[in-house]
Amino acid sequence: MKNHAFIKLSGQKDNKRIPSRVLEEMIHHHIKNGRRNIEVEGFGQHGIGGRLWDAGADETHIRIVGQSGQRAGSFGHFGTRIEIMGPASDDVGWLNAGAEIIVHGNASNGVMNGAAQGKVFIGGSIGARGMTMTKRNPRFEPPELWVLGSCGDYFGEFMAGGIAVICGHTTDPKDTVLGYRPLVGMVGGKVFARGNSDGFSEKDAKRVSVSDEDWNWLTTHLNAFLSKIHKNDLLPSLSIRSDWQLIKARSAREKTDSPEKSSMAWFRDQVWDRELGRGGLIGDLEEIERGSIPIITRGDLRRYIPVWEQGRYMAPCQAACPTGIPVQERWSMVRQDNVDEAVAMGLHYTPFPATVCGYLCPSPCMASCTRNLKYMSPINVKLLGKAGENVKLPKTVKKSQKKIAVIGAGPGGISAAWQLTLKGHTTTLFDTGSAIGGKIAAVIPGSRIPKDTLESELKRVKEFIPDIRLNQVMDKKEFSKIKYDYDFTIVAAGAKKPRMLPVPGIDHAVSANEFLELSKKDNIKPGKRVVIIGAGNVGCDVATEAHRLGAKTITLIDIQKPAAFGKEKEDAEGVGATFRWPCFTKEITKTGVVLSDDEILKSDTVVVSIGDVPDLGFLDESIKIDKGFIFVDAYNRTSDPRVFAIGDAVGPGLITDAIGAGRKAAIIIDRIIEGKSPDGDTPLPKLDKTRISLEYYNPKNRADTLKECGSDCASCGKCRDCGICVAVCPEAAIERVETGKDGFEYKVNPDLCIGCGFCKGACPCGIWDLIPNPAV
Amino acid sequence: MSSNRSLEPSSLSLNDLPWQIRYNNDRCTLCGQCTAVCPVKAIELKVFQKRIIKTSVQPEKGHTNDYDSFYGIRQKTRVENACIGCAMCTLVCPNDAIAPVKNPGLDRLKFHINQNGIPRRRGGRRNSSDSILDRIKFIRISMLTDPALDAGRHEFEMRTLLGRVLSPRENMKRLKEKGWIPPVREIYPLIIGGMSFGALSPTMWEGLQMGVAYLNEELSMPVRICTGEGGCPPRLLRSRFLKYVILQIASGYFGWDEIIHAIPHMKEDPCAIEIKYGQGAKPGDGGLLMWHKVNKLIAAIRGVPPGVSLPSPPTHQTQYSIEESVAKMILSMSMAWGFRVPVYPKISASSTSLAVLNNLARNDYASGLAIDGEDGGTGAAYAVSMDHMGHPIASCIRDNYLNLTKIGKQNEIPIFAGGGVGKNGNLSANAAALIMLGASGVQIGKYAMQAAAGCVGTEEDRCNVCNLGICPKGITSQDPRLYRRLDPEDVAQRIVDLFVSFDTELKKIVAPLGRSTSLPIGMSDALGIDDYAAAERLSIKYGV
Repeated sequence: MKNHAFIKLSGQKDNKRIPSRVLEEMIHHHIKNGRRNIEVEGFGQHGIGGRLWDAGADETHIRIVGQSGQRAGSFGHFGTRIEIMGPASDDVGWLNAGAEIIVHGNASNGVMNGAAQGKVFIGGSIGARGMTMTKRNPRFEPPELWVLGSCGDYFGEFMAGGIAVICGHTTDPKDTVLGYRPLVGMVGGKVFARGNSDGFSEKDAKRVSVSDEDWNWLTTHLNAFLSKIHKNDLLPSLSIRSDWQLIKARSAREKTDSPEKSSMAWFRDQVWDRELGRGGLIGDLEEIERGSIPIITRGDLRRYIPVWEQGRYMAPCQAACPTGIPVQERWSMVRQDNVDEAVAMGLHYTPFPATVCGYLCPSPCMASCTRNLKYMSPINVKLLGKAGENVKLPKTVKKSQKKIAVIGAGPGGISAAWQLTLKGHTTTLFDTGSAIGGKIAAVIPGSRIPKDTLESELKRVKEFIPDIRLNQVMDKKEFSKIKYDYDFTIVAAGAKKPRMLPVPGIDHAVSANEFLELSKKDNIKPGKRVVIIGAGNVGCDVATEAHRLGAKTITLIDIQKPAAFGKEKEDAEGVGATFRWPCFTKEITKTGVVLSDDEILKSDTVVVSIGDVPDLGFLDESIKIDKGFIFVDAYNRTSDPRVFAIGDAVGPGLITDAIGAGRKAAIIIDRIIEGKSPDGDTPLPKLDKTRISLEYYNPKNRADTLKECGSDCASCGKCRDCGICVAVCPEAAIERVETGKDGFEYKVNPDLCIGCGFCKGACPCGIWDLIPNPAV
Repeated sequence: MSSNRSLEPSSLSLNDLPWQIRYNNDRCTLCGQCTAVCPVKAIELKVFQKRIIKTSVQPEKGHTNDYDSFYGIRQKTRVENACIGCAMCTLVCPNDAIAPVKNPGLDRLKFHINQNGIPRRRGGRRNSSDSILDRIKFIRISMLTDPALDAGRHEFEMRTLLGRVLSPRENMKRLKEKGWIPPVREIYPLIIGGMSFGALSPTMWEGLQMGVAYLNEELSMPVRICTGEGGCPPRLLRSRFLKYVILQIASGYFGWDEIIHAIPHMKEDPCAIEIKYGQGAKPGDGGLLMWHKVNKLIAAIRGVPPGVSLPSPPTHQTQYSIEESVAKMILSMSMAWGFRVPVYPKISASSTSLAVLNNLARNDYASGLAIDGEDGGTGAAYAVSMDHMGHPIASCIRDNYLNLTKIGKQNEIPIFAGGGVGKNGNLSANAAALIMLGASGVQIGKYAMQAAAGCVGTEEDRCNVCNLGICPKGITSQDPRLYRRLDPEDVAQRIVDLFVSFDTELKKIVAPLGRSTSLPIGMSDALGIDDYAAAERLSIKYGV
């Protein structure tokens, strides 16, 4: 019985407040001794009533009278019941772990802060930060806080569990029962509130309707609460269901979804566009399509588009050929098994496919062949040239009434007459010599061009050009007559006059032309020692011929590094000729060449090979001469517009230069005759070689048959019709389309193309390009 | 006569380029998306050759020697096609087979980029990740010494004042005498700085404005945005959204006749007028919007015919001294709106800024001073200006603020700091540091482009082609094929994200300092840095 009676402890001894520590020891002492009902007269001591675990599972009742002090009932234990008979100080039920605490009055700040279990019943109102940081441990029932009145500010901050019931009794309807900014950071639990509960953190919590189950729970427990605080009479006034609201924490998912925030799409539609007008900020200024587009686009939205540039560029070989032969076209024909046509085509450009293309030309086309970029052997045009030796004559197109004279039957003159004849004009070829061919026939050694080849091509020329007049006297009078008799005159007189050195004893020397002409007829004996002044390619020809005719010591001297190159130089070196430079000739004597340092190069024959100059004495005053050569404009027209000049008479060059100039002059004259401007079509720009993909070809392959050359030609700028672009296009946007007989075209479907440029990258011939899309 | 490729001074190898394409042929599907998207055509499909040699030490078995070709992506090495590192190829690649990688060696492109005698120009940034702001730490944590505040639950007034605040005595006097009181705006301390309609694409510009309007109207954050020098779309001028806008006037005066025409029809006054005298990225240099970028839209907004080049000279043409510039320009601009709108100049950070500040201090009409530091961004500038001209923002702001404290006017003229705020992603820390050094607010540009539109620029010279109109994200392009990649709504949403998260971070910084009722402007006792010289220079604590 003794244990059930209340033992009274005072927080004061001898009129002095005893320390919290001592009061705590006293309470524990009695609990250990089995007492379970203790009345404490508090004098503000800290933490009265908590931590009564020595009582085990027994019910313990602590009644606090006087001033309860802070944190009454903190760390409260299951089975502990604390009744505070007046108002309570801060943190009632702090970290409550199971105690039931009743306060018969108001409680100040921090009620139930950090509590996890237990129940706190407040018979009045509470201060700030009640029910903050409360949590619910799933092993136990949730903590509960019952408040008859209302709450101070920041109620329920970071509340993570538990149930709070705020009855709002006698609260002014203007004031909120939950105080200022309640429930910030709430993540769990629920709050029943009676009255105005506005202002809670809607980010963290939401109002939900009070279910029947909630209502039953509330009314049942409300009755119990009112009993504990002795206010049963309030039950009817507090039991009006519509007065109550339930506020619950939002779930983590609800917070991330944040459905309450207006979407930007809504804002744009309902606020932005509504204020600014349809189309938004610039809807009045530009009718641009709104709406975003993907990164990879088609049609007009592509930044770049592919273009199939068939025939828009000139192949590098053709561009390099002074005669202008479309070399790649011919290899294309070879590829299509039209070898005959390919060979025959040559005669439309040159009368000497075999002699010049096949043998004498240094082949600028091959030097510029794109294959050189990858150190691959250039396509061998010489094969194609040589095949042209026996091709039948081309057909001429028409007959015109115009008469044209060509003076000089060298390669340039023959080329001009050939082209004019092809175009149907009546052409007369004049020459002072007894044979046609100029230097090709007269000077170039037999070692460089087989006699049969040359003769057969010269024969073909003679067959084709009906009016060839040899052994003509050419002087001013004759020239004026020709000019008068013919509609146009082309001067192709060449450079036949050798340049000689102005040194004493020059009479002892022979010119290179003279030497080569005689040697070709085996009509000269040069002796054992030959000195050649001027170490160019003609000098090399002299050296080779001299060796053939028995010379043993052959020396080529020059004032500068010898200009000789290619086959001529190799041949000269092959016969043991030596090159010396710089050597300056002071005098030529019977015994040899005296140099400026008085060294004597002994020789049986001295040959001067320092170039030729034109012999233009026959021209009249109407033809302007500039530094020994005929002055011409860009059309090869002289100062007399009816007189054209080409070849070495205009300036030194290769045979192919002369042939090309002959063809050019013929084309221009033809255009003038036809009444057109001398300007033809603008020549196509040269293809950029980097557009060619040489990786398709075997670099070790040295094409040495016509067939191999045809298949290994990169076909620069001319579509091979291989279909690689169709195969490579990732969007299947390219299609091959037939256009008439044998014609074809590769077309892009803009609705499929994404402008990646793969067609360009893969094209072996450089036909495809990728250009900025002009469409916007 | 050889036509083999010859070596030129500017023949570069892949090794010389600042950005190299790392490409994995095994993973590539040859879909063409990377080459289609590359803004500078730095990559292309190429045919490659492969040699397959099969040999045997037993000669009777024979050897074979075959060539095969295959396709792959190749990087071009021409100067004009040098990869800019934007990584759009990586973005579109379905198989993660391609990516640009920064060359760790010397960038030799630098020596060759001046082809045809034209020095490098670029957009973007200074390309230096150095940042004194990043090194500043907030070392004064109140904890138990002052009431420690909680950024999560305390309410903060993250607001600043834009406008001239009179001294209390003067204010009372004028109130009593019914005198003129300068206009003052209470605004959010993070401002979107001036980026013109023209420098930015229409979608980007609209997105920024829409985001700002949302912040104001849906979230009650008084964020302000400056138009930059390129006028302002007429609809915006006549809308209520104008109050969120700071109109900029600069030496080109583009679009100002349209603004003048709109004044009688304005529903709201603009937030303020910024007079631009200088830009941190290219101090002392002007700008030129090339004729080909002046399309119909830009022309309409700037009030010019399409297809003409638009120069913004380095200086205003009719102003010859600080006194005159300040007096004349500020007075004119104030007058235009009946002295109801704050007017302030923006200058590039400079060792001469104190002269400007002192001048403003004597002029009641001057509402503040914006200073743009060397790390500011730009749409186009000469590289030499960006890389070597300019003044760091931190010390300039500090000098100006300390000067104000010396003359006792630190609460009267707000200073706004810009230029590289958040350049390495630390926006709120940089902003807070500048505020505690003395700025009343900060302006951002590049950060907004990066965060709100995915600008791929970095401080490593990545992309930087804003000046060429080929922005791969559509931020600085006037080509609809590019700018339509950008949805204004998405930009607006990201602007909102940026400001809301900034707001949280700023609170996380200032709450532990115990400040909640006002911004800690000039609260330099909270700052420390691990560099003694910098600490001395900035008059903050040296903390190691």
